Amino acid sequence: MLSKSRSKVTAEFNLSSLTDIIFLLLIFFMLTSKMVQINMPLPESDSKTVAPTDIAVMIKLDDSVSFNGKASSWETIEKDVATYVRYSKNKENATISIIAETGVTYEKMHIIMKIASGLKLRAILATQPHS
Amino acid sequence: MSALTDIIFLLLIFFMLTSSMVTPNALNLQLPGRRSTMPRSNTPPVRVAISADNGFSYNGEALSLDGLEKRLVSLKKAKGKDATLNISPSGQASNESVVAVMDIAYRYEIRAVLNDPQ
Repeated sequence: MLSKSRSKVTAEFNLSSLTDIIFLLLIFFMLTSKMVQINMPLPESDSKTVAPTDIAVMIKLDDSVSFNGKASSWETIEKDVATYVRYSKNKENATISIIAETGVTYEKMHIIMKIASGLKLRAILATQPHS
Repeated sequence: MSALTDIIFLLLIFFMLTSSMVTPNALNLQLPGRRSTMPRSNTPPVRVAISADNGFSYNGEALSLDGLEKRLVSLKKAKGKDATLNISPSGQASNESVVAVMDIAYRYEIRAVLNDPQ
């Protein structure tokens, strides 16, 4: 009985390793698709840009500013961005995404644009499609 | 087991497609100090000012956003590639109105220059 089953060549292969790999990929894509969502109203535009979004500076209506999801302040934001760029691997193409909530004054946006220009970075302005 | 693999495969393909479709909606700013900065054109630019209460003006003449769009369409028709826009918003203007003007410029392929806050 034992020797018989040993000599038999199995016709089906083991799916569990394949399932493991697919599961891993699934979780990866689920997480990356979640990360790009921003839950606040943005100015409306039809423009679309494919740019690396490694530095995200978010300005909220209550004048708070955050850098890559961490709370920052108007005094420290330049230092935060500069430190990040210094240790970044991709200095040439470092891009600041300015995510400003609808109603934020141009003055505030301009401060971030000036920082980007001073550090010779690229900048994109996050918008949302016309509703 | 193969049924489970089927379901996971389906979910995988779904998330792969949705993650690639989410290209961020954004306006590309070309800041001074980088090589990609666009050359200046020879024709004098049209000045669009945005006041602190989000009113638009085209070369000093107050207009609504729709009126401004019509003016810019005719500007594009008249000047073609040389059409240049100078956007000078007030520091207190909302980013919404600044982006609205930049969006019109983007749609009609007009070169737009954003000035420092006035």
